[in-house]
Amino acid sequence: MKFKTILNLVAIAITLGAISIGIGQLSYSWLPPQASVESQLIDNLFSFLVTLGTFIFLGVTGTVMYSILFHRAGRYDLSDGPPIEGNVTLEIVWTAIPFLLVLWIAVYSYQTYMEMSIRHPMEMAHMPMAKAIAPAYAEPMDEAVEPMTNIEVEAKQWAWVFHYPEKNITSTELHLPVDRRAHLILRSLDVIHGFYIPAFRVKQDIIPQKNMDFEFTPIRTGKYRLRDSQYSGTYFAAMQADVVVESKEDYQQWLEEAAKRTPSAAPNEAASEYALREEKSAESAWVTVVPASEPIVNYHP
Amino acid sequence: MTQITPEILTNKTPESPPNPPNWLRYFSFSTDHKVIGIQYTVTAFFFFLVAGIFAMIIRGELITPEADLVDRTVYNALFTMHGTIMLFGWMFPVLAGLANYLVPLMIGARDMAFPRLNAAAFWMVPFFGMMFILSFLVPGGPAQAGWWSYPPVSIQNPSGQWLNGEFLWLLAVALSGVSSIMGAVNIVTTIVRMRCPGMGWFKMPIFVWTVLAAQIIQLFGLPALTAGAIMLLCDLSFGTTFFDPAQGGDPVLFQHFFWFYSHPAVYVMILPVFGIFSEIFPVYARKPLFGYKVVAVSSLIIVALSAVVWVHHMFASGTPDWMRMLFMISTMLISVPTGIKVFAWVATIWGGKLRLDSAMLFALGGLINFVFSGITGIMLSSTPVDIHVNNTYFVVGHFHYVIYGAIVFGLYAAIYHWFPKMTGKMYYEGLGKLHFWLTFIGTSLNFIPMHPLGLMGMPRRVASYDPEFAFWNFIASIGAFILGMSIIPFLVNMVASWLSGPSAPDNPWRAIGLEWLVSSPPDVENFEEIPIVISEPYTYGTSEPLTENMGG
Amino acid sequence: MTNVLTQENLNHSSQVAAHEHEHDEAGNSMFGFIVFLLSESVIFLSFFAGYIIYKTTTSDWLPVGVEGLEVREPAINTVILVSSSFVIYIAERYLHKENLWGFRFFWLLTMAMGSYFLYGQAVEWQSLQFGFSSGVFGGTFYLLTGFHGLHVFTGVLLQGIMLMRSFLPGNYEKGQFGVEATSLFWHFVDVIWIVLFILIYIWQ
Repeated sequence: MKFKTILNLVAIAITLGAISIGIGQLSYSWLPPQASVESQLIDNLFSFLVTLGTFIFLGVTGTVMYSILFHRAGRYDLSDGPPIEGNVTLEIVWTAIPFLLVLWIAVYSYQTYMEMSIRHPMEMAHMPMAKAIAPAYAEPMDEAVEPMTNIEVEAKQWAWVFHYPEKNITSTELHLPVDRRAHLILRSLDVIHGFYIPAFRVKQDIIPQKNMDFEFTPIRTGKYRLRDSQYSGTYFAAMQADVVVESKEDYQQWLEEAAKRTPSAAPNEAASEYALREEKSAESAWVTVVPASEPIVNYHP
Repeated sequence: MTQITPEILTNKTPESPPNPPNWLRYFSFSTDHKVIGIQYTVTAFFFFLVAGIFAMIIRGELITPEADLVDRTVYNALFTMHGTIMLFGWMFPVLAGLANYLVPLMIGARDMAFPRLNAAAFWMVPFFGMMFILSFLVPGGPAQAGWWSYPPVSIQNPSGQWLNGEFLWLLAVALSGVSSIMGAVNIVTTIVRMRCPGMGWFKMPIFVWTVLAAQIIQLFGLPALTAGAIMLLCDLSFGTTFFDPAQGGDPVLFQHFFWFYSHPAVYVMILPVFGIFSEIFPVYARKPLFGYKVVAVSSLIIVALSAVVWVHHMFASGTPDWMRMLFMISTMLISVPTGIKVFAWVATIWGGKLRLDSAMLFALGGLINFVFSGITGIMLSSTPVDIHVNNTYFVVGHFHYVIYGAIVFGLYAAIYHWFPKMTGKMYYEGLGKLHFWLTFIGTSLNFIPMHPLGLMGMPRRVASYDPEFAFWNFIASIGAFILGMSIIPFLVNMVASWLSGPSAPDNPWRAIGLEWLVSSPPDVENFEEIPIVISEPYTYGTSEPLTENMGG
Repeated sequence: MTNVLTQENLNHSSQVAAHEHEHDEAGNSMFGFIVFLLSESVIFLSFFAGYIIYKTTTSDWLPVGVEGLEVREPAINTVILVSSSFVIYIAERYLHKENLWGFRFFWLLTMAMGSYFLYGQAVEWQSLQFGFSSGVFGGTFYLLTGFHGLHVFTGVLLQGIMLMRSFLPGNYEKGQFGVEATSLFWHFVDVIWIVLFILIYIWQ
């Protein structure tokens, strides 16, 4: 009898485990394409958490559903259940197991975090270039020593402007060479903005009056979206830009072509929407901070 | 009028009938904790409806990718006031109402420690609540900086007016804080000093434990928010530069002040709901609460941990590494005492004799939703994952699952469970079940889609979004409208039952507890004779009486 | 028989206990007041924490043209405020001994010292070259001293009310909660000032 119970429990645990692992693998598909080294690390951690979470969720709700289905009182059954007030062993077990699980999750998260080496902006400034590259990446060493792509990012209400000091050009579209670590200096002119590229899984708030150093490594060519992730006022949702990751040759070509262009006004959703609103003098709108005028840049889509 | 006054003063003796007609008491400066409890609950429900309508307009805007329903300024005002009114107008007052009604009854006291302070704290609620609503009329509209009110956005004040929405918002939040502190002092004093003879700490119902724990958080947390709000108000209106980075201020400091309170505030809200679950499961499963003492003490562990987790809201704010790791671990640790409670509830239900009345349905639904939100909570506490989903719809989905899925479900469970006690009338079970299913389906449709949206990278607080997010947003909006509809059977049920429902017996659920030993509704003085408690609170399945002098 | 009797005795005594329990209003009030003060102290703690963070991280801490704060006058002020804590204690002792005039004398002396403190602070404020909006330094200085000053003012006001109430016949029949709470509040305000003085004036 007891053996049978244990066998049943083991069978249930194996089934739940299998389902959980399946859902954990499925969870990769809930996320955007993995376009950076960081995204692979984070997705693995997320998948692990989904696996564990599914197991716990199914375990707990399954037990509750079983009780609901099979431990119902009959219509005229006014009796009480067994007066069990507790069980010390059980209580110790369900304190200890979550505690160990938490430690496991914490250690795994810590390792992932260290590998991502998202450093504190202040710390970065005092670090020699070579040391700033985390050794844990599965990249060939010669690439790791390669200089980083340096870009200055300017955020304002409500536009992104990217400045490439290498060729002294500006753009409203972020171009990045693939497989090379990008080093960005983020600046804000007015309020806190958030630099967020979902496909890279990276995010950093930009505190005004500070230079925020930020690094990541794109590994997949394509076109992605940069969004403002920290609420920045009226046209917050319109503050988006395209991110183009391209081969090193294409990138060099783009830089040179952009350098030849004369600066012109880039289209800006906030500015044009505001102009339209003022034209209509919409009554069902409140006064807003006036958007910065269209940025004058070498390159814009 | 003046001639009546002495009569009102003398009607303190329990025998004489209350002087004003019964319904009028609810519109007067009553000092009866039961009247105040219902005043709180009904007022809070009004604000729930107001903020709910805001939510529907927000979801109406988000049903299509373009910003086409309302102007962006209006949208920003709506989500700001939705969050603010839901928290300060609905959540805190309704919990204060339940605590007010139940705590004195559960601990065998005739009233709260400070009845007049109690009434004063309540009457501030409609006052500051109306301030929130009236701020729609000032030039420049109401606050549009989100309920976090992060500077510098919150101090930009484009209207240039001295009397602006943000100013009123800060005043109203401060008033809400004063009201909450008054309530907290009152409740803590009542629980510590007014328990009836025999009611030692480990004979208190879990609801009382959790209310005590929640109010302790209010006492140490709210002042930090108040300090931050005072400094923000000075920046906005008196030319200081505390949080203005352009003039040497530090906007991140405000975030610390804000989250030092506002994360624990979630525990202020959910701890009493843990208490409600712990009260309801034993009654409808006919079994004692499993591991009563551990469940009781785990609330206090949550209180202690809640004070050291706030930075997990700021993992993307440029916080140093050591802070990120420290607060990641402290946040994860909260899941241990919380897990203890969840397992205790599951064990309480296990092998019981379940009766699925409306209260039990809501409690079970709330438990399942809570487990789900707890798991996404653990994901969020992990710094690398949080860096991706921070400030996205994943967070919105997570906390709506906590607040609607678990807390509001718990509150509905409590209202159904204690409705017969409060009103002396039974509610209509069929309408209650309809209400439950609409709410459960609405909650799932509304808040589950927010998780994939966040994982895909849709930021929160946006009025427009890329077309790739359209599908899940459409589903979420449909869910929101179902949730809106779900209120109708509830309102009909409550109003109709209160007016003309069948009379309730003293103890319709055969529950154990001091509140079930008195009449429904209880007399003004609660107990004819102060009870003397002799046994633990959940003795289902045994024939031990609860009190020496009143049976049970 | 005897068993029943002891049972009844027990009943009786616990009911008496219940009775006392419920009507210990002064005890409840004092407990509640202490809880309130503990909560209130967190506002000050938050301001102190903010001040320390600003002081250690702001690059140009002092506004242009400001050398620092004069310590001498505020130090005298501090001595007066801190001594008033002892004076109010003496006043309370007199009240316990039911010496009303002794109580009133020392109580009034406390009020005078509190008022002098406020006067001294007003004089200091007037002599300063920076205002509330002079950067973070000016902001925190006026915020801290002003918020504390507001508490001193409230304390003096409460003392005035207690002094007037001492002339009402039968004022102390229900206990001395008002006087005790005011005195406690005064000690609280003093302790806060000592921390504040160290933070703002000593640590420059």
